[in-house]
Amino acid sequence: MKKFFKHWLFTDKKLSPQQLLDIGYLVVSLPLIAVIKLPMIIYLLFFFILIFRDKKLSNIALVGVALFGLFMIILSLFGELNLAGLSRLKIFVEAILYLLILAVTLQRLTKNINFYQIISPILILAISLFFFDSIAMLLYVVFEIFILLWLILAFTMGAGFKESLNMAIRMYLLSLPWVIVLFIFFPRISFEHASYGFRGDGIFRAGHDGTMFTDDRAMRVLSKRVVMEVSFKDKQIPPSNRLYFRGSVLYQKRGNRWLPLPVYLKRAFSPSQIAPKDSYDYAKDKIEYNVVLYPTYKRWIYMLDLPIKAPIGGYIDADFSVTYKGGVRDKLSYNATSALNYRYGKVIRRVILGEALKANKNLAPKTYQKAKEIKKKFKNPKDRLKAIIEFFKSQKLVYSTSPKGLDKKRVTDSFLFKSKQGYCVHFADAFTLMSRFVGIPARIVTGYRGFSQNSIKNYLLIREMDAHAWVEVYIDKSWLRIDPSLLASSSIQDSSVQIVNNKKEPLIQTQNTNRATLYYLYIKYTIESWILNYSHYRQMTLLNRFKSDTKFALIFVLSLIGIVVLIILLYIYFTKTPCKDIGVCEISPLLKKLAKRGFVKGEQESISALLKRYASSLDDDSIIRQIDELYIRCRYDDDIKACKQLREKIKEIK
Amino acid sequence: MQDIANEFKPLIEQISKDLKGKEEIIKKTVATFFAGGHLLLEDIPGVGKTTLAKSFASSLGLEFSRVQFTADMLPSDIIGVNYFDVNEAKFIFKKGPIFTQFLLADEINRSMPKTQSALLEAMEEGKVTIDGISYPLPKPFFVMATQNPYEEKGTFALPHSQLDRFLCSFSIGYPNRESEREILKGLIEEKENKKVVMSLEQIEDIMQSVKEVKLSDSMLDILQEVISFTRESGIFRYGLSTRGALALAAMTRSWARLHGRDYAIADDMLSILADVCYHRLSFLEGETTPKRIYDEITSHISLQI
Repeated sequence: MKKFFKHWLFTDKKLSPQQLLDIGYLVVSLPLIAVIKLPMIIYLLFFFILIFRDKKLSNIALVGVALFGLFMIILSLFGELNLAGLSRLKIFVEAILYLLILAVTLQRLTKNINFYQIISPILILAISLFFFDSIAMLLYVVFEIFILLWLILAFTMGAGFKESLNMAIRMYLLSLPWVIVLFIFFPRISFEHASYGFRGDGIFRAGHDGTMFTDDRAMRVLSKRVVMEVSFKDKQIPPSNRLYFRGSVLYQKRGNRWLPLPVYLKRAFSPSQIAPKDSYDYAKDKIEYNVVLYPTYKRWIYMLDLPIKAPIGGYIDADFSVTYKGGVRDKLSYNATSALNYRYGKVIRRVILGEALKANKNLAPKTYQKAKEIKKKFKNPKDRLKAIIEFFKSQKLVYSTSPKGLDKKRVTDSFLFKSKQGYCVHFADAFTLMSRFVGIPARIVTGYRGFSQNSIKNYLLIREMDAHAWVEVYIDKSWLRIDPSLLASSSIQDSSVQIVNNKKEPLIQTQNTNRATLYYLYIKYTIESWILNYSHYRQMTLLNRFKSDTKFALIFVLSLIGIVVLIILLYIYFTKTPCKDIGVCEISPLLKKLAKRGFVKGEQESISALLKRYASSLDDDSIIRQIDELYIRCRYDDDIKACKQLREKIKEIK
Repeated sequence: MQDIANEFKPLIEQISKDLKGKEEIIKKTVATFFAGGHLLLEDIPGVGKTTLAKSFASSLGLEFSRVQFTADMLPSDIIGVNYFDVNEAKFIFKKGPIFTQFLLADEINRSMPKTQSALLEAMEEGKVTIDGISYPLPKPFFVMATQNPYEEKGTFALPHSQLDRFLCSFSIGYPNRESEREILKGLIEEKENKKVVMSLEQIEDIMQSVKEVKLSDSMLDILQEVISFTRESGIFRYGLSTRGALALAAMTRSWARLHGRDYAIADDMLSILADVCYHRLSFLEGETTPKRIYDEITSHISLQI
């Protein structure tokens, strides 16, 4: 073991070009193992068996391997291997990747190195970027590039492992300041979503997509993907019951689907960027915030109730639903103003009110019956509303993101009376229908609900799973928000058996993210938004802040300088000659001390001679003589103990 | 004297009595002997070469013979000759003066190259071959050759390849003032019958232990740096041969053993560097002196020593 250690320490192993290439291939293909399909994995295992057998294959055997590989590729892409499939970017890239793997493995079996083989690791690296876009992959790519650089250096230098690694680290460090500066300042192009002529991967399903289904097609998007990043201007996040981000407003039920008003009715409104003063009675507690909305490919943008001022390009319509010209095709950042305390709906068009009352009793006969009872019993709309709420509570409805036993034909009835399981969609659907049955105009509002638990400082994260639907009822000449989901008696998280009983807390489909996770998300999000998604917009934000905020600019420049200095220090550290001779390394601190005292080693003088010369100048020379002896034994007798003693003795000398 | 290993002390002390004030020279001679090599002394006559040789041989109890090389000398005058014995009616080999344990080859550069090479071949091979029959030389076999400085008339300079066969070369030089005064006073008398301080077995044991002296990686690095410097620096006409490199290592080992260590250090090599290299190297430009060789090489390896 000691010998091995010494061997490793003092010798510099040289790797053959084939070994270097193998390392490169292993490093770049590692992440792709998660991507490639089973038949290709089987093919790769087969390939590794061939490699480890280490026999030269005949040409016929190579053709056999190639045919086997092709067969496995076809098997992997089975069902997608048609022109339509290949027009989808991901499938196309996957097919290319498989062909590349086949070509590379065949080349490797011939044991000849050619240009094609040398360039392929970089191609594989590039392809892997199509499959991953996380921060982990970014770090891995940095690592990959470093390894490739090292391999190229090891090959061209013809040097050993350690020497080429040292050189690679140095070159890498030298490139870092440029990378950082170019990353921050190189002009970004703000381009539309680039599809390169390929079809997208199916329909993008967001938590909110403008309509609402109450059957199987209903959205149960539990993805943690971030939809919006909201930062509030006054550093104070409103309480959870005010965090309703308004999306589309739905009026009409067609079968199991809720739809917004038809276009011809919408045209009658005149949407504007700022909500007209006469459209609301009052709007207090105005709050300003910035939203970074990730591409939804829909026209809605989300603003807190009640939207007062939409961003440029956005329009608030009579329903206070905000749309964006051209749809959100690229990441969108906007500033918006909303009022938390408001009353609106004084001016309302008759046709809208009519739409808000339309309800087909055949869709939910039982519900209609129940509503009739309530309608008979109470005359005042307010009392009727209270009765509906009481009824919902009495039904002991369970909030479940995967409800069981819903009858697809009569969803509302089966939800309210039979299965009693559902989520926001079913609650909103049933509540709206019932309100309309009792004669109260009602409509469904869909959008996102924020939770102050998912916030840090003034940042609030809204994820797909925070998509929500609630109800607005028209009472006393104003629209009143009611969230029927809160009327559930308990909730089942996902399909797990666990039933959560917390009536006080809002029953939510979002899991209460714990602080650590949230911080992780926040940090990850911050890193992602500033590094991975560093865009034209981010760059402009940074530069604007740079111009306006002197303190920030100063800190920014200083930290840039700090990074550069740190890199230079690291570079110097790696540039200094590595310790090849333990004895010399151990004694050198003492030599520095002696030099300060005027005892400099002469050109023709050995270290030992210098020590003797110094010793003879002292009255008590015993320590120096001991050091001399230890140094000699450490360096020339390979005595490790002496080296340790030497180090300790040198420490004793002041 | 304190740092000399105990077994060498009596030997060096005894020789020092005959050759005053030349302790360093005696140590180098001892080291050369125990490294199993041969010594070339380059000196003007009359500075104690013979004294050193005689004292050395008698202290170790070695069989001593001395050959004075002249211009008309033939190889057979050294290695011996086959003559026809009429009585026995066969050729009989009459051993030359080379068949001894300690050979003082005086003024080797006075003889013809043919004679020189006969001696040097015998030194290298450790045996003498005449008419197809090999006669081994006794052990130990040590040649101390002397040569006059080249400028003297009537000399045949030893070619570079022959010089390489000597392990070491140095000059004794003039004695210092004090020593010379003692000599002048006539206080020094050469005793013919000296005490033998070391047995043959002891000598062989020490020679064996010299071969076993360890050269650490560090030491080998330094040695190789020296060797490659002589070859690649371009300031020498030609670099050290592999035999030269081996000579450097052997002398370093021997010097370490002389100082009682079983591993060699850089200072060992520095002590004998010039002596091993002087007759093997010559500068392309300027004069070749031991000091210049030492300075050039040590400056180059300064960071490593």
